[in-house]
Amino acid sequence: MLCRLAAFALLGWLLGGSLIPSAGVRIERASTDAIASRLPAWTRVPAGVLLQLDLATTPDLWVADWLAALAHSGHAVTWSGSPPAVAMSSEAIADPRGSVRIDVAAPPGTAVVIHDSASVVDSVRVSQLGATVVTPLAMGTLAGNAGGQRFSAPSPDSARLRAIVVIGNASWEGKFVVAALEERGWPVIARFHVAPNVDVAQGADVPLDTGRVAAVVAIDTTVQSLGAALERFVRSGGGLVLAGAASLAPATARLALGSLGARTRPSVLPTDTIGLGATGFYPVGALAADGVVLDRRAGGIAVAARRVGAGRVMHVGYDDSWRWRMTGGAGSEIAYRDWWSRVVAAVAYLPGAGPTVANASTASAPLAGLIDRLGPARPIAAGKTPRRPVDRRLLLALMMIFLLSEWGSRRMRGLR
Amino acid sequence: MTSEFVFATAQYDSGDWDSAPLLPANIIDTIARYTEIPVAPTGVVVALSDDRMLRYPLLYLTGHLPVRFSDAERRNVKRFVERGGMLFVDDHNHDIDGVFHKTATEEIARTIAPLSELPNEHPLFSAFFKFDGPPATSHELNGWGDNLVHKHLLAVRRAAGNRIAVLFSNKDYSSEWNYHPESKRFLTVDNTRFAVNLVVYALTA
Repeated sequence: MLCRLAAFALLGWLLGGSLIPSAGVRIERASTDAIASRLPAWTRVPAGVLLQLDLATTPDLWVADWLAALAHSGHAVTWSGSPPAVAMSSEAIADPRGSVRIDVAAPPGTAVVIHDSASVVDSVRVSQLGATVVTPLAMGTLAGNAGGQRFSAPSPDSARLRAIVVIGNASWEGKFVVAALEERGWPVIARFHVAPNVDVAQGADVPLDTGRVAAVVAIDTTVQSLGAALERFVRSGGGLVLAGAASLAPATARLALGSLGARTRPSVLPTDTIGLGATGFYPVGALAADGVVLDRRAGGIAVAARRVGAGRVMHVGYDDSWRWRMTGGAGSEIAYRDWWSRVVAAVAYLPGAGPTVANASTASAPLAGLIDRLGPARPIAAGKTPRRPVDRRLLLALMMIFLLSEWGSRRMRGLR
Repeated sequence: MTSEFVFATAQYDSGDWDSAPLLPANIIDTIARYTEIPVAPTGVVVALSDDRMLRYPLLYLTGHLPVRFSDAERRNVKRFVERGGMLFVDDHNHDIDGVFHKTATEEIARTIAPLSELPNEHPLFSAFFKFDGPPATSHELNGWGDNLVHKHLLAVRRAAGNRIAVLFSNKDYSSEWNYHPESKRFLTVDNTRFAVNLVVYALTA
């Protein structure tokens, strides 16, 4: 009985020792700058030596992987310090020009320089909610540098775009929305109602599925003609823009952002420069619980969005945005084109580009990656005297002797 | 402001821009008869030199006399076309050697781009009613003007989508359509049907 208790006590001590570093353990320390050069030597030290990193910044990906491998092979690897918590992600934007959006998370106020494999892309100071940079072109790997902390993300492939279906009554609004999207490079299929049983179509009529169509732009309630196919399309990932009073169509009842309010009619003087929404809009009355307001004006919510199934729906209350393009100030036609392209890009179905292989020496979220590999920081006070560690083989042998003694004693006493 | 289609006649300084005063009401009547397009019951006259001309993305311009835009007119017409407007110019003389044709085509080339023949298969001719090309007018068939039946319209087209920015006619639709809408009932075939194509095309292409 006594031997068995002694064996269990030894086992408990070994377990405790593996969780709580002993003050007597030999410690090898290295800083961020020195760690890469120390790794070959660390690989050859006995497993009982505690490897301790003092980090000002998170080491490169291959260093973290090496340390993780050492930890898995029986070395005790710990780290301390306060590397900045930074992260970067990139995503292709559904835009014919192939833009890439880069999102950066870092402590507020941090200045981040972003570059790709060719050159510097941009520099940005992080606000409370992170920072976002949109670049028309990104080559190779995107990398960020925040005060010496390097991090990266693979550059995504360009989005493969499907067509945009624009449907409505024959009107200036529909015409100019189509013009704006086409000028931007979107493939557009348009269907305009002109007279009873007479529609003017542009582009081949295709079934409403995400294999062929990225989004539907409903200029008005004629979207009702799409029937139940519209909701199926959205729930399977397609995008829907409900412009003007299109939300009044019964086919959009379960997709709309909420009830539609009365159209606002602000007074506009003949000499006024017309901007987006200057001539009024259809506000969302009672916004759906999952709706997100994107543009709120004096008359109410002008633009809002929500997810429905796998798709996205956006309410754009403007029904005569074409006036902004035609009668707005200098450059209004460009602003109009960009605005409508952004609206469509925000909801358009974007097929997955497949797994992207990261070919970078730094991680997209270095601190998170380090914690994932080595666990959280466990600072060890400097100056502790290293003591020769007990050989664990000896402890194992002792445990075996205790257990054998216990077994022998019981056998000699005739017990089982 | 209204979202109705408003038929707008362009007023310019140099010529007789108001030579077809009955045409707007007739075209408005035609649009209302054949389509469900909301249309304002009366047309407007808008000066090319006034920025307000940009409110009407389809402008009708006609006359008999020489056309010479002022700087303000030229600037606005250029801006109008660049922003997506469509200018329909009809030669009220029906004469390719006439002063209107010569000066208007020259002014369009100077302000926007040179005109070229519009193929008779262009979507304009099938936008609503089906035509094999620009429908002939009674003035052409009677041998007035230059005594020609013009086979094609002329146009300045946009790079994007081959769409029409400026449409120029020597057919003299300004005379053909310049009558009271009530008189349509005396016609075997409504001769303003091509105007429906024109408006539908402008609104949808």
